[in-house]
Amino acid sequence: MVKRLLAILVLLIIGYWLAQGLANVPFGENKMLVGQYYLDHVKEQTGAVNAVTAVVVNYRGFDTLGEVTVLFIASTGVAALLWRRKRKRTAKTKGSVVLTTGTKLLFPFVILFGAYIFIHGHLTPGGGFPGGATIATAFLLLYMAFITYEIPHRGFEATEGLAGMGYVLVGLIGLAIGGYFLLDWVWQTWGFGHENLGRLFSGGFIPIIYTIIGIKVGMELSGIVDNMLKEEVSE
Amino acid sequence: MAEASRISRYLYTIIVLFIIWLFLTASLDPQELAFGLVLSLIIGAFTYEIFTTRGLANLHPKRVAYAIAYIPYFLWAMLLANLDVAYRVLHPKRPINPGIVECRTNLRSDVGKLVLANSITLTPGTITLEVEGDRYFIHWIDVKDASVEGASKSITGPFEKFLKVIFG
Repeated sequence: MVKRLLAILVLLIIGYWLAQGLANVPFGENKMLVGQYYLDHVKEQTGAVNAVTAVVVNYRGFDTLGEVTVLFIASTGVAALLWRRKRKRTAKTKGSVVLTTGTKLLFPFVILFGAYIFIHGHLTPGGGFPGGATIATAFLLLYMAFITYEIPHRGFEATEGLAGMGYVLVGLIGLAIGGYFLLDWVWQTWGFGHENLGRLFSGGFIPIIYTIIGIKVGMELSGIVDNMLKEEVSE
Repeated sequence: MAEASRISRYLYTIIVLFIIWLFLTASLDPQELAFGLVLSLIIGAFTYEIFTTRGLANLHPKRVAYAIAYIPYFLWAMLLANLDVAYRVLHPKRPINPGIVECRTNLRSDVGKLVLANSITLTPGTITLEVEGDRYFIHWIDVKDASVEGASKSITGPFEKFLKVIFG
């Protein structure tokens, strides 16, 4: 009881303190310093209509590379923590015919929608991470509906690695062509897509990178699901 | 049911995925069309094996026509169902007589069973609880006939005449 009261008191103090700190930040007023630069130059500098993805992939590409690395470490970490020699799915109840058939029908649509999200990253909200998560959802559906389903591990892990290397490779090509890592060579050196801004084949290397990230994230999250659903089997 | 050839199943998956892509992008820009086609080819190659068993036979004109006719028929049934439930909720005496009944279906394909189960759930005071082979266990808000034949006639019957043609 005393513990709980103390916790509530501390939380109230922290909340008051945060509210005081935020009270000085004006709401609804223009306070863009760097933001204005992004909004003004995003089209001619990156070819992307979606400013968020341009910031995430172009202006601050290192952050995204870091995020991809974090996700990769998370997936590897889960695999390392749950590693056993004999691990199997031990679920006993199969889904009803409604669930299994529905899953079979939905699976390609979910994948297609995931691909739609990540390929339109430079035009619409979304990008590689939501697209990849959507694709992983499709595999989660298969895992939930079928008691024996397993992702094809070899293919998945190889694709994941290749996609990660592809991202770095795209960055390295920028380094070779223009002098710094993650330079948008498709847009700035080739000038590809300059004439059709806002259509699908524009946006410099954002669609390429987001395709890579989408595939990588999709495979990784599916791998995590796979690892967590399996249990150790005693022989 | 016999499986169609792989090519036919693959083609069918591509066609369906491409149509979905057209609805998603809602544009006829040649770039979008080209990329959608490539994407359909790739995704179709990975997913056709679980997506369809009958392939292009699904696109038989008679089936498509019945499927299109089924949509307004089903929507009308759904409208009536919701008005019916609203009536039961608002009625002071709350005229319900709930119970679980068993129905039989003569549909063979799994997809047909899925659509029938969903149609039942979305229409007049009925919810599909479980499907086993050709037996449906249905929760009915107002049980009028507890026998298998009677329940089938009033619950699954109206949809089956369409679904039998569409899905077999």
